[in-house]
Amino acid sequence: MENLKKNIKDMLESGEIAGFLGLIEEEGHPIPFLFTKDSLDKLDALTVPDIRYPMTDILLKIVRKYPEDTIGVMVRGCDDRALIELAKNQKILSDLIRPIGVACTKEMAEYCRCSQPYPREIHYGEKVEGVKDRSDLEKVESMDLSDRLDYWMGQFSKCIKCYGCRNICSMCFCDQCTLEDDTLILTGQAPPEIPIFHLIRAFHMAGRCIDCGLCEEACPAHIPLRSLYRKVREDMADYLGYVTGMDETERDPLEFLGSDGYEVPTKIDET
Amino acid sequence: MAETEKGFEPKIIAFCCNWCSYAGADLAGSMRLKYPANVLPIRVMCSGRISPHFILKAFQRGADGVLVTGCHYGDCHYIKGNYITKRRVTIMKDLLKFVGIDPRRLRADWIAASEGDKFAKVATEFTEEIRALGPSPLRG
Ligand code: SF4
Ligand code: SF4
Ligand code: SF4
Ligand code: FES
Repeated sequence: MENLKKNIKDMLESGEIAGFLGLIEEEGHPIPFLFTKDSLDKLDALTVPDIRYPMTDILLKIVRKYPEDTIGVMVRGCDDRALIELAKNQKILSDLIRPIGVACTKEMAEYCRCSQPYPREIHYGEKVEGVKDRSDLEKVESMDLSDRLDYWMGQFSKCIKCYGCRNICSMCFCDQCTLEDDTLILTGQAPPEIPIFHLIRAFHMAGRCIDCGLCEEACPAHIPLRSLYRKVREDMADYLGYVTGMDETERDPLEFLGSDGYEVPTKIDET
Repeated sequence: MAETEKGFEPKIIAFCCNWCSYAGADLAGSMRLKYPANVLPIRVMCSGRISPHFILKAFQRGADGVLVTGCHYGDCHYIKGNYITKRRVTIMKDLLKFVGIDPRRLRADWIAASEGDKFAKVATEFTEEIRALGPSPLRG
């Protein structure tokens, strides 16, 4: 921890970064904090707790405000995957971001059912193996079609349209949100039109979602949103060989055709 | 859902691209080929313009089936719109299935401007398939 603090302090003092987005403990609560040269004393309160914050979502707000500055940020595996996607989508310039990587504990990896609980580069913590768990998908897949629809409509009908799922998501960076487009979805009513409200978001997450699970955690109605996005994430891998959050130079095959052949998936199981 | 209700007339939305399949639908008309009145063609400039949202909205508003049509590969007037269409439809079908909507309710097909007969055939086939599936469970 002391090394970490010193590292951040050095980067701020030397001007390598203009700010560092991390967490501090304030009155017993970890909260996000943007360290600058002028708040080095605050580094004493720097903390790396076993809880999560949508760091890259906050980072995006900072970057929009200070587009010229180099910013450091504490990232876990999921945040790091988000950085990759944000760079791909030209929301950040990787050259202007200094990620400080934190590896998650075994407990966290299990809690998050996380396939990759570590960032590209680890500055803090010990790397543990990911968790392979698709039991949430299997639960749905074990039902027949009409039970599935009943299940999902029951879940969706609990929605209070708080937009929490969208607001917490680092991958929801659009300037205009489809969920508020009344030519597609009736606006001004809660619960929203279902299933379209949730399916539009689910389809949008194909080729974007980095499977951090924050949306599901944020949903006050406890809708198992993440399994929808995990499903399309899996489909993108199965049909199009594309996994988000891996490589900045890859392109979303739903948006870019690519130049080396554009094989069309044929493996469509309609049973 | 298996039994077809008596008197059930499927509502089918067919998104057709201006250059091929819409022209194909037009040709079907001028050739006086019969295709079911259940199929409502909506013209778009390219199958690539068919946002996945349009498909979802059609189902939300009670369509029993959605047909997405475009030019054959290599013929798209915007070069490659139809490849993207195919990818989107593939993922969409699986998502629909995951939430309990029969993926056969969504179909993509390629129809050239000269293929009035193919348009009529696809429209008829699809209507019958949807008729057999019965009304969409999302129909209010
Ligand atoms: S999703 Fe993975 S990387 Fe992110 S906090 Fe959980 S365990 Fe860590
Ligand atoms: S898991 Fe949820 S919050 Fe995280 S990237 Fe995917 S959709 Fe966004
Ligand atoms: S967080 Fe849950 S309740 Fe809020 S809009 Fe999203 S799905 Fe609906
Ligand atoms: S113009 Fe027909 S599919 Fe693109």
